[in-house]
Amino acid sequence: MSDYILEIHGLNKHFGPTYANRNVDFTLKKGEIRGLIGENGSGKSTLLSQIAGIYPPDTGEMLVNGKPYKPKDVLDAYDNHISMVLQELGVVGNLPVSVNVFFGRTAQFKKFRVLNKKAINKAATEQFEKWGIPMPPLNEYVGTMQIESRKMIELCRAMSIEPEILLLDEVTQSLSLNNREMLYNLLKRQKEMGKSAIVITHDVEEMIEICDTITVLRDGAVVGNVVSAETTADEVKSMMVGRQIEGDYYRTDKEVSYKDEVVLSVKDLNVDGELEDITFDVHAGEILGFCGLSDSGIHAVGQAVYGLSKVKSGDIYLVPNDLHIKTPMQSLANNVGYVPKDRDSDAMMIDASIRENFSLPSMTELQGPIGFISPGSMKKLSNRMVEQLSVKCEGIMRPVNSLSGGNKQKINLGRWLAKDLKLFILDCPTRGVDVGVKAYIYSLMKEAKNNGIAMILISDELTEVLGMADRLMVMKDGRITKTIRRDEDFTEQAVIEVMI
Amino acid sequence: MKKKSNIKLHDIIPFAAFVVIFVFFTIASYNPRRGTFLMLSPNNLLSVLEQTMQTIIVASGTLFVVAQGSTDMSVGVNLALSGVVGVWTGYATGLHFLIIPVTLLVGTLIGLFNGFVVAKLKIPSFMLTIALLIGIRGLVNYIQTKTGVQALPDSLAFLKSSPVKIALFAVILIIMAYMFEFTKIGRYSRAIGENENTARYVGVPITKMKVIAFALSGLMAGMGGVFSLAYVGATSQQMGVFLEMRVITAILLGGVLVTGGTSAKFYKILLGSFSIQIIINGLALMNKSDSYISQSVQGILLLIILALTAWSGTRNLRSGKDQEEVSSKTESKEA
Repeated sequence: MSDYILEIHGLNKHFGPTYANRNVDFTLKKGEIRGLIGENGSGKSTLLSQIAGIYPPDTGEMLVNGKPYKPKDVLDAYDNHISMVLQELGVVGNLPVSVNVFFGRTAQFKKFRVLNKKAINKAATEQFEKWGIPMPPLNEYVGTMQIESRKMIELCRAMSIEPEILLLDEVTQSLSLNNREMLYNLLKRQKEMGKSAIVITHDVEEMIEICDTITVLRDGAVVGNVVSAETTADEVKSMMVGRQIEGDYYRTDKEVSYKDEVVLSVKDLNVDGELEDITFDVHAGEILGFCGLSDSGIHAVGQAVYGLSKVKSGDIYLVPNDLHIKTPMQSLANNVGYVPKDRDSDAMMIDASIRENFSLPSMTELQGPIGFISPGSMKKLSNRMVEQLSVKCEGIMRPVNSLSGGNKQKINLGRWLAKDLKLFILDCPTRGVDVGVKAYIYSLMKEAKNNGIAMILISDELTEVLGMADRLMVMKDGRITKTIRRDEDFTEQAVIEVMI
Repeated sequence: MKKKSNIKLHDIIPFAAFVVIFVFFTIASYNPRRGTFLMLSPNNLLSVLEQTMQTIIVASGTLFVVAQGSTDMSVGVNLALSGVVGVWTGYATGLHFLIIPVTLLVGTLIGLFNGFVVAKLKIPSFMLTIALLIGIRGLVNYIQTKTGVQALPDSLAFLKSSPVKIALFAVILIIMAYMFEFTKIGRYSRAIGENENTARYVGVPITKMKVIAFALSGLMAGMGGVFSLAYVGATSQQMGVFLEMRVITAILLGGVLVTGGTSAKFYKILLGSFSIQIIINGLALMNKSDSYISQSVQGILLLIILALTAWSGTRNLRSGKDQEEVSSKTESKEA
C-alpha cells in the first residue's frame, strides 16, 4: 500500500477557451491536513470539485489508495469515502434538515417507498452528536435557516460517510468563532484517525494555523508547496499573487480618530429575541466595530439600524437628517447605506445586469423631470463606478453572476459609494474575497473615513474589526457587554475574554 | 478585453417566432382566385390591429405584476365586471358620461383589492386571482341576466370609430411604456421580481409597489373594458372570457419569464400579443375557424414556442456558468 491516499497526475480542466486547472500534480498523505490557497479564480474550487466527483477532469489521472479513481458523480465519490462541503450553498431548501443530511442516501430509511421519519431523525441526531456539530431543529425546512446552520448540515452530511478525504471549500468564512473552533477540532480528530482533509480558505493566518502543508495555486497551476511550520503569512501571500505584498493592509495607527459630530444615536433598542437595550453613538469619520459569537446579535444590529427589523422599543436617530429610522425606505432616502452579510441572496440581483445592480440604490438620484430615469444616466453611473473600482467585466450589461466573488463584492459596496452617504453599515464586507480585493475594500473604508462618513463594521473576523475599528462593541446574547477603544487594550485576548 | 454581444438567444426566439408565424400564415392565406394574400389586405390588417389592441392594453398593466414575479388571472373578469357595471351606472343614473370613469374606477378598485391582499396578507397572487376569476364571473353573469344586453349609448358611439380607438390606444401605450421602462415604478417592479430580498434590504417600498402594480393591472383591465365595449358595441356574458389566458400567454410568448425581473420589457407584450392574434386570424383566413380546431392549433403552437423560449432560457444559464469561469480567470491574470 502506498503512503498516499490521493495522487493526481497531470490534471487539466478547461471551461471554454480558458484553463481552470493546468497540469496539476498533487499528492496527499494519509493523516495530512492540506491547505489550498490562491486568488479568486485560481482554480481551487475547480480542483476540489473534480476530486468530489462534481465534474470530471479533461485529462490526467487520479489515484485513490493507489487505484485509479474516476468518480461518475458525488455519490460515487461518497463510495470512495470522499466528501465535500461546497462554497456556495449545497443544501436543498424545501427539505427538512434530516433529509438533507442523508440526501441521495435516504433509501436505507424507506419502507415500501415511505420515509421513516423517526429512523432518519435518529440517525441524523447520532451523526450530529458523533462529530460534535451543533444540531439545528431536525424537522425544520432548510430554506428558512441562516447560512451558518446550513453549513452545519452540509458539514454533518460530509462527515456522515466517514470520509478518508474531507474537502472543505471556504467553510470558515460563514462561521462564527465558536463554530470555527468546532471545525478546527473536527479537523484534529480527522488527523488523529489517520484520515485526511483538503481545506480552502482565504484567511492565510488561519490556514497556517490549521493545516500541515499548503499548496498555492495561481492561474490554475500549482506554484508551490510549503510546510506550515516553516513559512510565514507574507511568504504565502506573495506566492499567491506572484509579487511582494504589504504585510499590513489594516490601519497602522493606534489612535481613535473621529469628529465630535454624532451621526447616529441608538438608544435602548430592543428587538424581540435578538437585541436587548442596545445603546451607542457613531460619529462622523468613525469606524465602529461590532463583534461577537454567532447568536450574539451583531448582524441584527445592522438590520435594525437600517430599519429592517420590527423594533419593540428604543430609538434609532440619524442626527444630520433629524430622522428617527423606522423603515429601510427612510434609510435609502436619507444617505444611509447597508451591505448585508449574505451577498447573493440578500444584496445582489445576480441574474440582472451589472448596470441594474449599480443603479438600484440610486434610482431617486437618477430621476429627472416627471420621474424620468434615462438608461443613459444609469449607464454613466455604472461606467463611472466600474472604472473607479476597477471591476473586471465584459461590459455593464453582463449579468452579475458572470463575475467572480471579489468583483461582485465591489459592486455590492460600490453602488453605495456612488451616493452621498452619511452612514454606511457594513456586515462582513470581505466575506469570500481574496487578499487583493480585501486590501482594496479596506482602502475604500479608510477613504470613506477620511471623507467623514460614519461606519458600522460588523464582522465575524476578529482581526478585521481590530484592524479597522476606532471603537469596538463586543456583544453577547443580544447585549453589548463591553466597549473597547483603539488606544486601549485593543487585542484579541481582551476581546475574547468578554465575548465568550 | 473583447466586447461581448449582449443579445441573448432567449430574446431572439420571440422575434423569430413572430416572423415565422406571420410569413407562414401570410403564405397560407393566398387566395388563387383573387391572386392576393388575404392576410395583407388593409381591411384584415386593420382588423388584426383592432383585435390586438384589447390584449395589449390589458397586458400593459399586467406586465407590472408579472415583472414582480406575481400574476394576475383576474383581468378577464375584471374587464367584464367593470364594463357591465359602468354601462349599467350610465343607464341607471341617466348620466352617460359616467360610463368611462366608472368602468375605470371599478377596474382599479378590484386591482387595489388584489394588491392589498397580496402585499399585506401575503396570499399568493395566483390563488387569489383564480378565486376572483371564478367568483366575479358569477357576479357578472348575475348582473347580465338582470339587466340583459346593454348597448353602448349613442353619445359614446364616437368610440367605435377606428381613428379614435387607435389614437386612444397610442396615447395609453406611450404612457404605460414610459412608466414601465423609464420610471421608478417599472425599475423597482423588476427589482422585486429579480430578488425580493434584495429589494427589501436596499429599501424598495415593496408593499407600495405591489399595490401600485395590481392597481395598474386593474385600471388597464377597466380600460380594456372600454375598448371591448367599443369593439362589440354592447355588454354581454362573453366579455373578457379567456382574456386572462390570452394576456398571460402574450406576455410569456413575448419572452418575459414567469419569474419576471429584468426579462420583462415593454416591447415584448406587443410582440406576444400580435403573435397570438395572427395565429387566430390566420386560422380564420384558412377557413379553419371552427373553434375546436382553431383552439387546438393555438394550443400546440403556443406549446412549441414556449418550449423553445424555456429551452433557450436554460441554455443561457449554462453559458452564463461557463462565462463565470472565464471572467474570473481573466481577473486573476490581470491581478
